[in-house]
Amino acid sequence: MNRCPDNTEWVLYATGEVPLRRRRALASHLEGCQACHREVQAIERGLAALETLDREPPVRPQALEMLRKRLSVAAARKAARPGVLARVYPYRWAAAAAVIIAVALAYALVPSTDRPQSVPGGTQAARMDEAQFEEEIAEISTEIEMLELGALATLWEGGNGSNGTVPESINGESRRPWDNFGREISVPG
Amino acid sequence: MTERTGDSPDVERLLVSFAPRVYGLLLRMVGRPDVAEDLMQETLLRAFRSMGTYRPEGKFRAWIFRIAVNLARDWIRRRPRQRAFALGDDGDETSPPLTPAADSPPDADTLRRERARWVEQALARLPNADREVLLMRYYGDLTFKTIAQATGEPLGTVLARAHRALKKLGDMFPGESHEPMP
Repeated sequence: MNRCPDNTEWVLYATGEVPLRRRRALASHLEGCQACHREVQAIERGLAALETLDREPPVRPQALEMLRKRLSVAAARKAARPGVLARVYPYRWAAAAAVIIAVALAYALVPSTDRPQSVPGGTQAARMDEAQFEEEIAEISTEIEMLELGALATLWEGGNGSNGTVPESINGESRRPWDNFGREISVPG
Repeated sequence: MTERTGDSPDVERLLVSFAPRVYGLLLRMVGRPDVAEDLMQETLLRAFRSMGTYRPEGKFRAWIFRIAVNLARDWIRRRPRQRAFALGDDGDETSPPLTPAADSPPDADTLRRERARWVEQALARLPNADREVLLMRYYGDLTFKTIAQATGEPLGTVLARAHRALKKLGDMFPGESHEPMP
């Protein structure tokens, strides 16, 4: 290995976290590289300094006792407050029955809607229905108009028709229905 | 070391067994024994309460130490002036190498305690992020890869922090020799 490895790799080397094969390569590089050798020595001095710290400093017994108590309380609370499923479990049959009843009620109470039947060639059929509908509307309109004219004629006859209050014709049509009988009546489109 | 999370008493015992190391990490992070004790309790309680969120594929220990580091960070963020080792967080200031005084011949125990105190002070001079990596490595016995997984940071970032922190510590203690970490 000619090139010096990254300095961070020397951290892994010094702490023993490098795979064996790589470790051998690094060790062989160290033998011929003073700069890397100094680098590793500095890292090792840092690690040695760290080792002077007490790894398990004594904790006050009161603090440990307090910790145990708090853990016990937390454990008791955890045990007393089971999860949702655990709470529902004793009432599982009642819950199942309630769900079935609710579904049945919903089915019974919600009105069923009749959906339109699909017709083969639906678009053509719809156009034919529309034309037929317009014809029927025209006939009904004609009948209504005839009835209206009849009523007006009755009024006109009853009032002698000479006082000029009722015109002879409206839009070229006589107000007397018998005058219009047999004429083609235009139906507004 | 493998940890199993089973019955509640077992879990409680397991968590209590972590107390000294978690306390050690917190003490080096916040610098106050009383606060470190409180945070240690809070760490292990939180771990117990949120045991359901623990992912078995990760290391249980790494998860615990991650909680501890987060709590310490929160405490430092909320009360930065309360840190006992509030010596600046930039880590750029260089101090003269700390060596024992030569005029009083100390016994080995006194020397060890003194050296530990100097290391604590040197650690306190490191940036928080760099110090966290070293403390998780040392108190949690975690590999840098595991630390990277636990913190969600790239391995390269974790290693760069460790390298920076170890070099600074090494420069402060020129006479130390290293025995590999267990």
